Amino acid sequence: MTRVFARSLSRKKIMSNDGKLIGTLKNIRVDFDSGQVIGMLVHPDSTFDTASYEMEDDKVLKIPFEAVKDIKDYIVVDRYLARK
Amino acid sequence: MEAQITDLFGLQIYTEKGMFIGEVEDVVIDVDGKKIDSVVVGKVNDQLFELKNYKGLKIPYRIISAIDDIVLIRHLPGAFAGGSGSEE
Repeated sequence: MTRVFARSLSRKKIMSNDGKLIGTLKNIRVDFDSGQVIGMLVHPDSTFDTASYEMEDDKVLKIPFEAVKDIKDYIVVDRYLARK
Repeated sequence: MEAQITDLFGLQIYTEKGMFIGEVEDVVIDVDGKKIDSVVVGKVNDQLFELKNYKGLKIPYRIISAIDDIVLIRHLPGAFAGGSGSEE
């Protein structure tokens, strides 16, 4: 079971499971009532095509937390689940 | 209430009986369970805890009853040494 400190995630790189760099973590959205982690707000990398992903103000990428496979040196997300 | 996790940092933590516990320093996330595991307390009220034997203080998320301008946790009699009131 992986447990991480939220502050240690700040500006961590996010990678899809096909090895593509998506961007760096900006913030995490949570529901305080249930304690559920809902999703991640990500600064997309300049090389990343954000076309099929959910965006906020065309600047920040929203990735549901269901897509997260694991967090170690990188945050690895499933490339299909990460799409909207 | 939906919010960003950085909104939690620095919030003051009180029990339901009004005892000051400390401030939110960090949050532990359970990646597999996709939920908040616990809250790391900084600036701990040293009248409540004998911190010499502890490295730090973590509050499990299940004893948190509400989060808004402050974090409110359930009052656990016996968990807090000293302090004012009826508990020892």
